[in-house]
Amino acid sequence: MAIKRWFEWIAPLGVTGGLACLIADIDPSMLLISPTTVSGFALLVVGCCCGLVHFVSLRRSVKALSRQSNELAAGPSEARQRLVSSDDLLGELVTSFNDALGSAERHTKDALSATKELQIQLKVATSQRRQAEAIIHSIDDAVLVTDRFDEVLLANDSASRALGFDKVEAQRRPVDRVVNDPQLVGMIRDVRLGKAANERRVIEHRVRRNGQDRIYRVTLSNIRDSQGESGGVVSVLHDSTREIEIARMKNDFVSSVSHELRTPLASIRAYVEMLIDGEADDEKTRREFHDIIMAESVRLGRLIDNILNISRIESGLLEIKRIPLSVTVVCKEALDVISSQAKLRNVKIEEQLEPAFYQTLADKDMLYQAVLNLLSNAVKYTPSGGTVTLRTMVDESAKKVAVRIIDTGVGIPAKDLPFVFDKFFRVEANKNVAKGTGLGLSLVKNIIETVHKGTMVVTSEQGKGSSFGFELDLC
Amino acid sequence: MSDTAQKTVLIADDESHILNVVSLKLKNAGFRVLCARDGNEALEMALAEKPDLLITDYHMPGLNGLEVASRLRQSETCRNIPAILLSARGYNLNEADVRESGIRMQISKPFSPRNLLGLVNEALGIAA
Repeated sequence: MAIKRWFEWIAPLGVTGGLACLIADIDPSMLLISPTTVSGFALLVVGCCCGLVHFVSLRRSVKALSRQSNELAAGPSEARQRLVSSDDLLGELVTSFNDALGSAERHTKDALSATKELQIQLKVATSQRRQAEAIIHSIDDAVLVTDRFDEVLLANDSASRALGFDKVEAQRRPVDRVVNDPQLVGMIRDVRLGKAANERRVIEHRVRRNGQDRIYRVTLSNIRDSQGESGGVVSVLHDSTREIEIARMKNDFVSSVSHELRTPLASIRAYVEMLIDGEADDEKTRREFHDIIMAESVRLGRLIDNILNISRIESGLLEIKRIPLSVTVVCKEALDVISSQAKLRNVKIEEQLEPAFYQTLADKDMLYQAVLNLLSNAVKYTPSGGTVTLRTMVDESAKKVAVRIIDTGVGIPAKDLPFVFDKFFRVEANKNVAKGTGLGLSLVKNIIETVHKGTMVVTSEQGKGSSFGFELDLC
Repeated sequence: MSDTAQKTVLIADDESHILNVVSLKLKNAGFRVLCARDGNEALEMALAEKPDLLITDYHMPGLNGLEVASRLRQSETCRNIPAILLSARGYNLNEADVRESGIRMQISKPFSPRNLLGLVNEALGIAA
């Protein structure tokens, strides 16, 4: 049985770069037979050696390439730099491959860098957006942001409260279905469409919510993109109801103070001129004129004191001198002053005073002013024929003294009662009954509660009368 | 002052001191003087007595001075009664409202009784 051996060689075929595989089916008995066979075989061996050298070189290159590929696949590396380029075709391939790899690696690095930068920018932008939203949600002003389709992009709590909608449900819904205020919706649309004269429009707008009118200063701003197209409208509603009310009250106050100052001054001037012109014929009339001038001067002084004291108490600049004194004595002094005013108006004064024995620690001038103001109010707002009662009550066990000034006057509507101690406040229904500045009761409350740590009390029934008073600690 | 003897002036003011001093000044000048302490009383008195002149405060209980003057203008018999507004001017009166009420003369408090008398004479066409 013939023994056959298989020889397999792989050899390079010159500069063409091709490879030849010699696979011979050789009978071993033929190897030692003829020179021709030997020389042919030698040629084959040389060829094979050359092929072997190329094969080893190629194998090294491929292995190196493979290793680098693996390293590249594992992550960026400098392996490519260690690859030795050869001057054969495979070397060119490797060089070309290396160049492509280098370019890809540069692009990858650039892309990674750009990605990182974008990620940072995104984080910053997200953080800034959250901050802006937090600010918008935390401010008292109502903020409503609508897009170019008039859909709600953002609304804060104040906006949902002011305009009466659910801010979560409002998201991405048409503003005219969210805000039940056709006038405001129309203004938003006008500003977005550029119908308003300016990109920014400020208007005063009245909103009725829960049966109450609120006045808002609405600022509508058209937000344009880089192409000049409207990107939407930012509407900011500032509730200026209270500011307008304060401005009105201050205006009323200036008018009232001006009137109140001019009235006693008018009497003083007129009576002095009458005296100068000799219009008072007899001594009795002249004395009467002197008394009027004196009384009106005191009235003027008291008014100025009221105005100044209230501002001093509020600013904490008033010097307070507390001494043990009898509330009854202070009440009697105030009654002496008010009795002539009561007599002129035909109002009866009744005294129900505790003995002067009981004392409280108080500033005499201020307590006197408080009692006088309450008495003066009671007389002013009690029609002719009515009664004003001044009562003091002592509770020895609780160590308290209470003062009550009760009148049979016009009374105060229940809705106005919580505001009677507010500065400048005047009961609308009673404005025609008597003149006033709206400062007297505010001053009394400051004197009793801020200065003396006492308690003010008031009850009233419209058409029947009022009871004002306070309680202080005994000493 | 014989030409003032028949002239009647109605004064309306809720400040009794002002009412008294104006009243005395005009009485001393020879006028017949009527006094009202609020707007409603002034209107009633004017309609009943048909004075030659009304001097009225603005801010009074009941009707204010402008309302009194306006009501008089609506009356057939009292529409030509001239009126002087004697006010403390603390309130921001609308000048159009003042004209509408028929009031053509104003004097503000504090005032000079002497000047007021001059104005009364002027309104009634009396030579000083």
